[in-house]
Amino acid sequence: MATERARGDAGPHGSGVRGRLADLVNDHIRIALLGPSLLALIVVFIYPALILVWLSLQDTQGFTTELEPTANYVRMFTDPAFWSAFETTLLYSFGSLVLSVFVGLVIALALNRIVNRWVRDTYSTLILLSWAVPLSIVGVTWRWMFNGELGVVNQLLLDLGILSTGFPWLTDPTSAMAIVILADAWSRIPFATIVLLAGLQSIPQEMYDAAKVDGATSWQTFRNVTLPYLRPSFFVAGLITWMFAFRAFAIPFTTTGGGPAGATETLAVYIQRFGVQLVDYGFASAVSVVLVLVTLVVATIYVVVILEQMQEIEV
Amino acid sequence: MAGKQGTFGIEQYRRRQRFWHVVESPYVVHLVLFAAVFFIVSPLVWELLTSLKTQEQVFQLTYLPTDPTLEPYRRALFDRGFWRAVVNSVIVAGASTAIVMVLGMPAGYVFSRFRFPFDNAVFTFVLFTRLFPPIGLVTPYYRIMTFGGLVNTRIGIVMANVYLWLPLVIYIMRNFFITIPTALDEAARVDGCTKVQAFRHIVFPVVLPGFAAGTILTFLYSWREFLFAFTVSADLTSMTIPVATFLFVGDTSIDWPAMAAAAIVALIPSVLVVLFFQRYIVVGLTGGIKG
Repeated sequence: MATERARGDAGPHGSGVRGRLADLVNDHIRIALLGPSLLALIVVFIYPALILVWLSLQDTQGFTTELEPTANYVRMFTDPAFWSAFETTLLYSFGSLVLSVFVGLVIALALNRIVNRWVRDTYSTLILLSWAVPLSIVGVTWRWMFNGELGVVNQLLLDLGILSTGFPWLTDPTSAMAIVILADAWSRIPFATIVLLAGLQSIPQEMYDAAKVDGATSWQTFRNVTLPYLRPSFFVAGLITWMFAFRAFAIPFTTTGGGPAGATETLAVYIQRFGVQLVDYGFASAVSVVLVLVTLVVATIYVVVILEQMQEIEV
Repeated sequence: MAGKQGTFGIEQYRRRQRFWHVVESPYVVHLVLFAAVFFIVSPLVWELLTSLKTQEQVFQLTYLPTDPTLEPYRRALFDRGFWRAVVNSVIVAGASTAIVMVLGMPAGYVFSRFRFPFDNAVFTFVLFTRLFPPIGLVTPYYRIMTFGGLVNTRIGIVMANVYLWLPLVIYIMRNFFITIPTALDEAARVDGCTKVQAFRHIVFPVVLPGFAAGTILTFLYSWREFLFAFTVSADLTSMTIPVATFLFVGDTSIDWPAMAAAAIVALIPSVLVVLFFQRYIVVGLTGGIKG
């Protein structure tokens, strides 16, 4: 204890309220620095999360609220609209995942070829732009571009003679879905690019030199050097992109509002419709619980499997 | 036969090599990047062009604004009163960032330096809150805010932002602190600094780039936030600009240039942050993953 004090741990400067307070902080540094954050997380996360579970057990369809633990879950699993939203969400999230990771890889490979740092930074700054755009602005922008009468896409296609009459992009179920997926990928491509580029830059040059000496073609080098090294980056980019696309609300909601006729209604839009618009918060909470569980289960399995694989390939 | 196959193999090898030489040539690389930049930037440029047009030009389907006008900005900001949404956005994003950084940075420091009972469990809990889909909490938040009188207040939106970004900042800051050798704090303590002084005078200056990255990311994320801002706010007393811009969509005849103008205003901080802090963002995004 004496040596502790000699090192100025619980310093003898503790005179006056300020000094004593400083001593207190110094002696309980962990609680002093971590406590406020944990307290905040209890208020803004644990408390609402408990309410979520509690609400999901309430039947709130009528004017009265009754405790009916299974009612919402039974209703959800027998509601075709829930399953249709679930399917939409799967298609949406995997579509966005594949598109953004693939395009991100192409861009990252191209960026990695640019030697001049200034040129590379200019390109990556421009590509980063779509990542920073507020998601509701992504929605209204794509809604505007694909507008049936005044949108620039139809205008271009008509002027180029590809179409003879404007196509109703956002009122046709198939094209509406394709457009929200494309808009989602548009906003996620920069993230995938950055993660994959960081992965590419961590590959030691010697590996490429060795492949060259061995007479490998570019394709062989790509397959046998680049791709194996990139695996961890693919896993990270893939998991994060999928997770965020699976819970996507703002882009489908602001681009199409979930329409036409529910064709682009993801689970998140479905939850918002019941929980906030229809004030059937018991049912919305039950759907939320399912969405949370799916995300967490998939993420956990994924991380466990990947950690095992990572140990095998030692990258 | 064998010899013929051999020469064929070499021929094929050479042909492939030539193919890849073309694919990897600077021209193709730049072509790919030009295409990518066009795809990323053109929707934003189109929004900018629209915001400079008159209503008539929009209906005449002209590509460029023949007579550029700032009239749509005036209609959006003053006729519709969206300047209040801009003010709300600045207040919400500023307050959220300040709270999140003040709480999150010390917490990240503790996780990077100290052992304590259940430290791994607590850290896993922080990661868990980050992985938790926020849409799941929208319904309970809506209820809590209805009962707590926080509907349509900026405090309500800030509260949601603290939930959304605090775990992320704790995680990012921990990863930055981990890269700083503990020997540095220990040296300071041997020289007679208290733990707080060691943090403030020795560790903090070194971690400043990480602090900047965390601050910039949090500000941008709070500025962009839509889901909770949309749920909590009802009118311009608390509404942020991304929400206000979306509300144009509900109009019977949409004023497209004014909507584009509002979108451009909402975009300004995003674009500025990317242009000036590109490096920090890359560090923040990848720093938030690795480690």
